[in-house]
Amino acid sequence: MEEWVVNTFIRGLALGTPLLWAALGEIYAERSGVVNLGVEGMMILGAFSAFALAQTTANPLLGLLIAAGAGAAAALLHAFVTITLRANQYVSGLALTMLGLGLSALLGRRWEGLPLLDTLPEVSAFTYLSLLLAVLLWFVLYHTRWGIVIRSAGEAPAAVDTLGVNVALVRYLAVIFGGALAGVGGGFLSVAYRPSWTEGMTNGLGWIAIAIAIFASWDPLRAVAGAFLFGALFHLSFRLQTWVAPEPLQMMPFAFTIVVLALTARRGGRAQGAPAALGLPYVRGER
Amino acid sequence: MRWMKTWLVVALILAFATAGPGLAQTKLKVGFIYVGPIGDYGWTHAHNQARLIAEKTLPIETLYVESVPEAQVEPFIDKLIQQGSKVVLTTSFGFMDGTLAMAKRYPNILFGHASGFKRNPNMFTYMADFYQIYYLNGLMAGALTKTGKVAYVGAFPIPEVKRHLGAFALGVRAVNPKATVNVRWLFAWFDPAKAKEATEALIAEGADVFAFTEDSPTVVQVAAKKGLPSFSHYSPMQRYAPQGVVSGQLVHWERIYVDFLSKVLAGKYNATNLQNVDYWWLLAEKAAEVGGEFGVPINPVWVSKLQAAKVNTKEFGTLSVYDLVMRRLAQMSKTPVAFDPFTGPIRDRKGVLRVPAGHTMTVLELTTMEWAAPGIVGPWPKEP
Repeated sequence: MEEWVVNTFIRGLALGTPLLWAALGEIYAERSGVVNLGVEGMMILGAFSAFALAQTTANPLLGLLIAAGAGAAAALLHAFVTITLRANQYVSGLALTMLGLGLSALLGRRWEGLPLLDTLPEVSAFTYLSLLLAVLLWFVLYHTRWGIVIRSAGEAPAAVDTLGVNVALVRYLAVIFGGALAGVGGGFLSVAYRPSWTEGMTNGLGWIAIAIAIFASWDPLRAVAGAFLFGALFHLSFRLQTWVAPEPLQMMPFAFTIVVLALTARRGGRAQGAPAALGLPYVRGER
Repeated sequence: MRWMKTWLVVALILAFATAGPGLAQTKLKVGFIYVGPIGDYGWTHAHNQARLIAEKTLPIETLYVESVPEAQVEPFIDKLIQQGSKVVLTTSFGFMDGTLAMAKRYPNILFGHASGFKRNPNMFTYMADFYQIYYLNGLMAGALTKTGKVAYVGAFPIPEVKRHLGAFALGVRAVNPKATVNVRWLFAWFDPAKAKEATEALIAEGADVFAFTEDSPTVVQVAAKKGLPSFSHYSPMQRYAPQGVVSGQLVHWERIYVDFLSKVLAGKYNATNLQNVDYWWLLAEKAAEVGGEFGVPINPVWVSKLQAAKVNTKEFGTLSVYDLVMRRLAQMSKTPVAFDPFTGPIRDRKGVLRVPAGHTMTVLELTTMEWAAPGIVGPWPKEP
């Protein structure tokens, strides 16, 4: 029994960490009013660039750093298209996902099949740093002026605009920051979780991160619970196959995480709805 | 003499000018439809390597489309034909009905479908199968397990994977009659995260040797990280775990492609005589190879361990597992084969007699196999 608890906990941390980074990034982007469905694309670009650099320099942490850069660069593209050009955020995000998958596949051909000698442990100081980051991001979002500005840009951009805040700038920064976090999440996959590069290796984890951001009601602390719960249940869905039929077990981590997050969302005093201006481009003077 | 030289040059130019397009016309265009990305390091990667070899070996030109959804194969076939393909090869079981429909619509085009069973006068089927190799891998796994629990991470519970698992379990039990083969199903051909967590679950359960069906080297890597041996699948994965990979399964689709296409070029196969053409190619035809790296049947790191393990067999008396593997490999590399893992009597894990004494399973029986071999532990959807 003790082995089960310990092992499930560790597996939850291992798969939860990359999901948490990507979900935190999406929370910040969406809190500022910009939906970014390109998480999968930003993650895979992060995964590829992290692997390529870690493989060349034998330094996985350097890999994570470049992954942040790659994710941020991809997010900048999304920010430009949706904030400056005011294109549809959903379409741009989907395009970013496709671009990321395609570009990483193209660039990644020569890294296919190469081993990575220096890897990052799955559960390490980095895991605790991730938890600390989530707490910090929660604190910033709810207890600092920056947090108010970001949330206001997503709730009532016209109101913060009249206060002299540059809405476009706030949104740009939030989206780019979100992309950097998604990139690190992807990088973690290729230098720690499964140290290698394979085309399409994120395989849908970006979408799960978006779902966690939404079902966590855009709250960084609840995203921690969502990500680690999903990771643990995902592992358990294989552990339990000896006793439970595998077909329903496939759905279990998805269904259970959604149910838990949805149920807990009903409690607590804070408003839990989506940011009011989510998905809407802001144009001064228009309603 | 000058005029002769001039004439010669003119004649040569004319000859080349007319021969040029003539040559191009005789180049057979072959279109490939892939189910996954060519960089998957598994099934599609292997088909694509074979395409490149065929293109180098034969006077043909090839086209391909990757990551084609199984339900949408028909418009992609249409496109390949519009681009001039005279032969279209589709490489996933799920393309079967779509390919057959297109074969009926285009009676002058030749079609080939991998891993299926439906044919037409202009459509043949082909498969390079691994069950013999899984048996050999099973022999090695049975010798290497210390906990008596051998792990198998399976993609989908379909006859192909069940056959491979069955052959693997028969091999394990031939060396280690008390060992079990513990199974986990992914319900995905490619999903590194699932493969990773399934492997972790099996490790937690005490399994210490790993085989699998999934198109990434995840299982090999996770096992190697814990210092546990594994068998690579489909592509040479020994490079991911030079100390961990014992052996594995490798494919040579080009053997089939080159054979079929050269017969098309020679005029032996055409759009009217493919009804009964079914390539079921194994070790003997060199369409399948044992090993985790081409040309390396057993990783040298593991040879001494396999030589130290002794096993008692009816046929050869007492010998090392290494020698048993080599003898079985030699027997199965002959035509006709001198040994088949699925020769009766074989009972399934419930005790039902599935292969009577003296009978060897036919290709049809193998491709529709649903029962679980003895020693397999774990869920088995559609178990008869």
